[in-house]
Amino acid sequence: MDEITEGTSQVDCDILVIGGGTAGPMAAYKAKKKNPDAKVILLEKANVKRSGAISMGMDGLNNAVIPGHSTPEQYVKEITVANDGIVDQAAVLKYAENCYEIIQELDNFGIRFQKDENGDFDVKKVHHIGTYVLPMPNGDTVKKALYRQLKRARLLISNRYMATRLLTGKDGRIAGAIAVNTRNAEFLVVRAKAVILCMGAAGRLGLPTSGYLYGTYENAANSGDGYAMAYHAGAGLANLECFQINPLIKDYNGPACAYVAGPFGGYTANNEGMRFIECDYWSGQMMQEFYNELQSGKGPVFLKLNHLADETISEIETILHEVERPTRGRFQVNRHNDYRHGMIEMHISEIGFCSGHSASGVYVDDNACTTVPGLYAAGDMASVPHNYMLGAFTNGAVAGEHAVDFVNEVDFADIDEDFIAAEKKRVLAPTLRDDGIPPNQIEYKTRRLVNDYLQPPKVTRKMQLAQDRFAETREAMENEMAVTNAHELMRSLEVASIMDCADMAAFASLFRTESRWGLYHNRADYPERDNENWFCHSILSKDDAGQMTIRKKEVDPYVIPIDEDEKDAYDKQRIKAQA
Amino acid sequence: MSAFEPFEQFDEVEDIVDRLDDPDPGTRRVAVMDLADSADPSAVTYLKKALGDEAREVRLQVALALAEFDGPETADALVVAVVDEDAGVAQAAADSMAELKDPAAADPILPFVTHESAFVRAASLRALRELKRTESLKPALDAFSDEDATVRSEAISVVGYLKTEDALPALMSMLKDVEPAVRRTAAGALGFSVTTAAAEALAQSLTDSDWQVREIAAETLCKVQSTVAAPALRAALTDEYWQVRQKSIRSLGKLGVAEAVPEIIPSLDHDISNLRKEAAAALGEIEAPEAVPALEAHLDDPDPDVRKNIRWALGRIRSE
Amino acid sequence: MPLAQQSSSVPVVVDDDKCIADKGCTVCVDVCPLDVLRISDQTGKAFMKYDECWYCMPCEADCPTGAVSVHIPFLLR
Repeated sequence: MDEITEGTSQVDCDILVIGGGTAGPMAAYKAKKKNPDAKVILLEKANVKRSGAISMGMDGLNNAVIPGHSTPEQYVKEITVANDGIVDQAAVLKYAENCYEIIQELDNFGIRFQKDENGDFDVKKVHHIGTYVLPMPNGDTVKKALYRQLKRARLLISNRYMATRLLTGKDGRIAGAIAVNTRNAEFLVVRAKAVILCMGAAGRLGLPTSGYLYGTYENAANSGDGYAMAYHAGAGLANLECFQINPLIKDYNGPACAYVAGPFGGYTANNEGMRFIECDYWSGQMMQEFYNELQSGKGPVFLKLNHLADETISEIETILHEVERPTRGRFQVNRHNDYRHGMIEMHISEIGFCSGHSASGVYVDDNACTTVPGLYAAGDMASVPHNYMLGAFTNGAVAGEHAVDFVNEVDFADIDEDFIAAEKKRVLAPTLRDDGIPPNQIEYKTRRLVNDYLQPPKVTRKMQLAQDRFAETREAMENEMAVTNAHELMRSLEVASIMDCADMAAFASLFRTESRWGLYHNRADYPERDNENWFCHSILSKDDAGQMTIRKKEVDPYVIPIDEDEKDAYDKQRIKAQA
Repeated sequence: MSAFEPFEQFDEVEDIVDRLDDPDPGTRRVAVMDLADSADPSAVTYLKKALGDEAREVRLQVALALAEFDGPETADALVVAVVDEDAGVAQAAADSMAELKDPAAADPILPFVTHESAFVRAASLRALRELKRTESLKPALDAFSDEDATVRSEAISVVGYLKTEDALPALMSMLKDVEPAVRRTAAGALGFSVTTAAAEALAQSLTDSDWQVREIAAETLCKVQSTVAAPALRAALTDEYWQVRQKSIRSLGKLGVAEAVPEIIPSLDHDISNLRKEAAAALGEIEAPEAVPALEAHLDDPDPDVRKNIRWALGRIRSE
Repeated sequence: MPLAQQSSSVPVVVDDDKCIADKGCTVCVDVCPLDVLRISDQTGKAFMKYDECWYCMPCEADCPTGAVSVHIPFLLR
């Protein structure tokens, strides 16, 4: 079982989509719909049936721009302000303009959104300025409905193949990818005219407070492989210092979830049962306020529902305990928690990269194109900020539809056999050692170091120490890591991704010598925001010599202008009570 | 390894169906699961046949498997499963029926709206709702007098989804149903109408004995967009449930009922901050200058959301 | 460098009497995003081979016979 066997196969396709979670299936589906003659392969490390961030569904859309409730312009402004201005608006606007059509399409797929008694989408107001929340009380069927469409479209699905490196041609263009089977370690080389990366967040970067390696906020399969692969292929990665940190139920590491409880009247409270969050839209500023309260005498922080009617709480329980992370209910039972009586203790998550909730991602333009020709990215790993599940679907569709036209114009790029041989050697190295350090220990140590040294508030000297420790651990990984079967080999490859992400997190955080995005990039020794020098993206990449490098990139001119008084809309709201 | 194909094999239906006759029910069950996975519409015929299986677990799996397919043939199989003697099979079939999207799937289901079993009637109506066929209107309206409350609720939803003004009197009559759950559905279903009649009917529901009916009526009135209900909404500001008051305040704000301002202001002092927050927002929506002193007096509310709304409201009023 | 073998209480439990993996069912193994379940060569039933669980539940929810139960891992219980 899981024995390592030798073997390599090769297939050719027009479009290779890597990652079968949310964005990936949509990208593949849309490409195939637009051109049924195109050969599209969907590659997935687990099984597309239930993989990715939404394996068990989703309890609502947080950013639905639906006519009559909000406008694309309003949404773009909101996202721009929530990201402290560092936004290339074109991609956000495109999302906002397209997402309603995608909601309707998902509805036709059989994905169930909350509707009122007239069959209209039952949009709820949670944010201050716009109305974007569309609950999904029966959202546990998302993946099932999606998979059904993929089967009907007869897409080529390759499950249990973990992509390890992208292949690029001599001209720098994308040429395909190399993958390894997670059950038998056989290689698969895929030649492709375009590749779409949809590999999710880097969710196994920090270590959860429970110490359980897989007790992460993100689906633990999302180990940042996409970030690492894009980096090694020479793509630019944007604003990696803008970490993801989310509120969650203490220890359980599942969302609390304010977007579910909010429309019912539940909220996040301090130990006095009072609201304390001043900031409106989900942002680093909100997380900073959360962190401050946790550290204060009014901490810790709780989810408060006990002021609601019994009937209301029962309804919330049904949603919270059946959809997205259904073991939540079991956790509460173990802890003897009842939403009717006490409040539920909350905490903040470990750090990660994820544009779904923040802005750290592989840089993409409004066509989901990365800086490598023929390489696309969408979903949690692409740089369109705050795009959540609906952004993954919408931007996945954008990528698929653009790529299917792109492949008409090009032929296969040449592939470098030496590179493939070297990559196979790298992948198999831990299988050739009779003994050594198992991947789980390397992973634990790396992630423990991430917590010790990279968790905000960030301190320059600590991050430099982190770089030293990471280098030592990397050396152990490269020279001493040993695995005994194909499953463990997958874990060892994930550790390499985690290590790359840890290095990038430190490097990008050291670069931006200011504080921005609230807690996400709170630098204790540069506590002020510095618009004069840092109103820009940071773009990290691998240079021709194979070294990590980083540069500033100007923010594209706004498509939707932000008035001066709107820029500090949140600051104005944040006026403290005098009493 | 030359014939290596790294792709998921969607099994051919013909290769699976032999196993449907296997003596072992576990094997037959797995065959049904494989048929579901095939995504091949030709599997539906075999699935329907397998509904005659003697083992309940096989029939249950068929009822679940049918959710993977759509169209009239699938519906035709599901109406067989929904009358299964086993309650679990019937329930799974009812759930699968609700997944149907193809309007043509309604045809085999329509006759079951008058089935002798209330469960089957409710399941059929639930499936018809999303299919939005005008042929469903008449049988759904007939079901308004059904003896079973769940059936009546499902029937109201079918009518509500069709959004036809002709059905208004019937829908309004359901606001007097004996069951609170039915009245709630009826109140919500009136939201599509912008008529005075609908507003008047909902206004009467603001004094319903069930607080959740009152809450939905108050909420729906903001969609109906008629100020004819304003006096009743104002009266609801003394409701014993703050939830009802909250929704009433929201609707008064959206409808811009200036007369309600003095009655909204006391809610700025309520213990529940959700209500204070709503009151501040509504006073801003109405843009009532006379609310300025009260709003200013609460600028330091301990709840940040309330403070935000008060500032927003004051900004709106002052910019006039 | 010798390796130690340590015990670990795993969160996913399979009821062998209900499990029909020996009839060809592989649902729980297929749907696990972390790929931690396997079918035993000895018993023909599913079991948790690797203690790497996100306690996300598809294995339990999709099991046709209700044989799988997911518990919260002890470390965060």
